[in-house]
Parts: sequence; C-alpha cells; structure tokens
Amino acid sequence: MSPESTVYKGKTGQWAFVLHRITGFLVLMFILLHIVDVSMLNFPRIYNEIHALYGNVLMRLFEVGLLFGLVYHALNGLRVIMIDFFPGSIKNEKSVFYGIFSLTILLTIIGGVIILRPFFTGSVH
Amino acid sequence: MSILERSASRPGSTPNRRSRQNFETWSWFFMRISGLVLFFLALIHFSLTHIFNDVTTTTVSFVAKRWANPFWRVFDWLLLALGLLHGTNGLRFIMDDYVRNPRKRAAIKAVMYSLAVALFILGTITIVTFRGNFSG
Repeated sequence: MSPESTVYKGKTGQWAFVLHRITGFLVLMFILLHIVDVSMLNFPRIYNEIHALYGNVLMRLFEVGLLFGLVYHALNGLRVIMIDFFPGSIKNEKSVFYGIFSLTILLTIIGGVIILRPFFTGSVH
Repeated sequence: MSILERSASRPGSTPNRRSRQNFETWSWFFMRISGLVLFFLALIHFSLTHIFNDVTTTTVSFVAKRWANPFWRVFDWLLLALGLLHGTNGLRFIMDDYVRNPRKRAAIKAVMYSLAVALFILGTITIVTFRGNFSG
C-alpha cells in the first residue's frame, strides 16, 4: 500500500461513515435529555411546563434537525446491514448513498413542514 | 499464519485477546440487530409524538392515555433499553478512535457508562411507577 492510499479522499463511503457518527452522537445526546424530561411525568405541572417549551419555534427547528439525524442514521444503518450481511447485494454504492441522502432530505422537508406548520399558522406562539 | 494468530501466541496475551475479539464480534452483531429493531421503534415513536400528533399535545394526560395500554409501556421501555445500549456502544467506538490516552479513555468510559446506567434506572422507574391518575 502506498502512503497516499490512507489519505482521506472524501468518497461517498467515507462521507456516509462520518455522517453516521455525527448523527448517531447527536441522537444519543437528545435521548439523554429526553429521558430526563420524561422522568418529570410523576410531577405533572413540571412535565407540562417543560413540554410546552418543545412547542417553541427554536425547539421545533431542533426537532426538524433531530428528524434529519434520525432518518439518515436509520437509512444508512440499513445500508451498513446490507453490506455486512449480504455482501455483494449493493452493486452501485455511490448511487445507493445518494439515494439514501435524497430520501433523508425529502422526508426531513415533509416532516419539517408538518412540525413547523403550527408556528406559521399562528396556533402556537 | 495471520497477524492476529501470531500476536496471540505471544506469552501472556492469549486469553485476553481472544475474549476481547469475542466481545467485539458480539458487539458488532448487537449493533446490527438492535439497529434493525430501533429502525422501527425510533421512527414510529418520533412519528407519533411529532408528526401524527403535535408535540404540544403530548402532555401528561396524553402519556396517561397511551401508557394505560401495557403494549406502549413495553414499546417505550424497549426503546429506552436498546437506544441506550446501542448509543452508548456507538459512543464507545468513537472514544476508542479519538481518545488515544489510555487513562483519559478509561475515565471517559467510566463516566459515560455510569451516566447510561443512571439514566436507564431513571427511565425504567418512570415507565414502571407512572400512574397517570392526577387531574390535568
């Protein structure tokens, strides 16, 4: 192997890997936060007060980001499983990655519109 | 003879290396299986609380109605357990890759494992003890 072969070249598989790590890390951070806010269920007033914050526009944008991370990590995870359990089943890795990424963007936009709509229609402050 | 076999034959290194390899194989397998289960659990959970219901309507009484059915308690507990295990194990990979100092790495892992165990206990207590019979 030549030294250059270890240099980061940014091919799709590497981007898929980097994005998988980042989204996985962010989703985990949200889970940690989410376990704590849900633990307030036995203190209904506190729970409802904290939960009202999730309707805030900043938190809604954050939820759209969470949706992106979750969908990407889920779809790319399936790609990893295919590669590991059924070697050779994915013929064109590049287009599979682009397909996954496009589907993630599409689902994020659709979900994003639904999540942000109450803010624009004025039903939430 | 492969590199692994040769280094495994080094005196004193055999049992540890063997069990470590075994553990990593299980960890690899666990990530795929739990990932597949979480694909459904996490996406269904997110859809129910952010897409099909607006997040502002997921109040205590919303949870009380949902958790009146034990199916959803089991569903949410599985999501809690698998999410934490899958997430913490993923974080372990990241630490193994980026934290080179063995002492620092051990300290960080101790903190994250403790946090995961604490949150698992907290989440389990929440799911098990919630009665939801208050007004509001």
